[in-house]
Amino acid sequence: MLYNNNKIALVDCNAFYVSCERLFNPSIEKKPVVVLSSNDGCVISRSTEAKLLGIKMGEPYFKVKKIVKENDVKTFSTNFSLYGDISRRIMKTLKQFSPQMEIYSIDEAFLDLSSIQNENLLEHGCNIRKTILKWTGIPTSIGIATTKTLSKAANYIAKKEKSGVVDLINSKNIDEILSKIKINDVWGVGGQLTKFYINNGINTAYDLKNMHNGWIKKNTSVFGSRTAMELKGIPCISLEPHQTKRKSCCVSRSFGTKVTKLEGLNEAITTHCLNAAEKIRLDKQTVKKITIFIRTSPFHAKNNYYANSKDIDLPIRTNDSIILIKQALLALKSIYKEGYRYQKTGIIFSGLKDTDIYNKNLFSSLNNDEKRIKLMKAIDHTNFKYGRNALSVAQAGFKKKWNIKKQHNSKIDTACFDFLPVVRIV
Amino acid sequence: MKVLLPFHVNKVGAGFPSPATDYVEDDIDLNAHLIKNIPSTFLIRVQGKSMNNVGIQNGDLLVVDRSLNPKNFSTVIVNINEELVVKSFIKEKNQTFLTSGSKDKINLVENPEIVIWGVVTYTIHAL
Repeated sequence: MLYNNNKIALVDCNAFYVSCERLFNPSIEKKPVVVLSSNDGCVISRSTEAKLLGIKMGEPYFKVKKIVKENDVKTFSTNFSLYGDISRRIMKTLKQFSPQMEIYSIDEAFLDLSSIQNENLLEHGCNIRKTILKWTGIPTSIGIATTKTLSKAANYIAKKEKSGVVDLINSKNIDEILSKIKINDVWGVGGQLTKFYINNGINTAYDLKNMHNGWIKKNTSVFGSRTAMELKGIPCISLEPHQTKRKSCCVSRSFGTKVTKLEGLNEAITTHCLNAAEKIRLDKQTVKKITIFIRTSPFHAKNNYYANSKDIDLPIRTNDSIILIKQALLALKSIYKEGYRYQKTGIIFSGLKDTDIYNKNLFSSLNNDEKRIKLMKAIDHTNFKYGRNALSVAQAGFKKKWNIKKQHNSKIDTACFDFLPVVRIV
Repeated sequence: MKVLLPFHVNKVGAGFPSPATDYVEDDIDLNAHLIKNIPSTFLIRVQGKSMNNVGIQNGDLLVVDRSLNPKNFSTVIVNINEELVVKSFIKEKNQTFLTSGSKDKINLVENPEIVIWGVVTYTIHAL
């Protein structure tokens, strides 16, 4: 085996959204709690107590409603402004433990711990965990190993340990630990690959680690062999401290109430378009391809089910909301069918590139472009100052009947003066 | 957090240069003075009664730092009976207590389930 000096920690928050809801609400500390996706569609975060009741990740709310009622499970709608602020605090706190850090998601980060002596790694991990808990109130699990994939595996085990920290670098029984991890729980092994591996007798992380390199290279993609190499302790996926810009941007929502008419869908698509366009302008990017999709509930009887999508390749890349909306609505019209009760719609902008790569097209009028860029800047500036949708297009609708108010929002926002948490004097 | 830029008195150009130029400081940034540890500090609104002995009144804004450990007479946020409340933290010999005003003391050694949520560092009161 190659000698590898890397020391990588994966810090992952435990049931992050639930933990955020609990931070200012001690009455739900020991109770089963779930957080539901937008418009209360699916379960996207579960407390340990909720997991024990058999509530699965991603399950639609109506399927677990019975368990929720019978066991008095506390349910919350997402409060992303709160989660975002708590996440920012966690990442800031983590930064002091390692200058080299990759924020992997809202609740996960990889840290480079190569400056820490091997014998101090476990203690260091425990210290990180203790500090995050004290400073932000959020419990975490930490896995330390020589590669990212192994640190993910260590984290998976740490989630089940009381200490919350697992260090594979000083561990003598890595193989024993890896044999406890099912192949579908290995980072980077998706549904298709899982099937293929199981068919070939590879059931655990340990099995994959022991496969011959040649066999893996021959039978899987470059990503497949990367995962296997990383399990062997050979780093193939490096830490990326600088955030790479997104290559695509998706905004989609389930409707609060089902939508049947084209007007309602038009409003939703326009709203999503505006949100996505604002995001990419913030990152100074432009769009080449728009995809829109609509579908009814997959739980409906077969003859009532309809789902379709449409791609539009733009002749000139742009980040102009008005052009994007126009194209998206044309696409929507071409796939809309009357007589269905639509449950979800969304939009994906892809082929994103930096604005400065923006090529002027032979047919684009220079003057008009300048004006539009100024208009977009004015819209973004206004909305930043006075709240999203302060300036919108009328097409996005005013009442937005499809977007009913969230039912169980905790209404606490640690980053907004009007919604600060409250304490009592008794 | 907002970073405020210094206001330069002396613009380039004509006239006698302002003698204050060398003494230009940043605008006063309250965040920098009231918040020592940004990620662990929360603003929390008081609701209910007042705690006159420590100068906290209904509706005040508390600056709460979770990273601090309470000292004798610290004002703290605690989780008691599934609720976040404001109390005074008192040390006596080897014992620690929570009180509000002169009322009943809660012995922390006898109630290990009570968790200190954070330490109040400032209270902001609108006049």
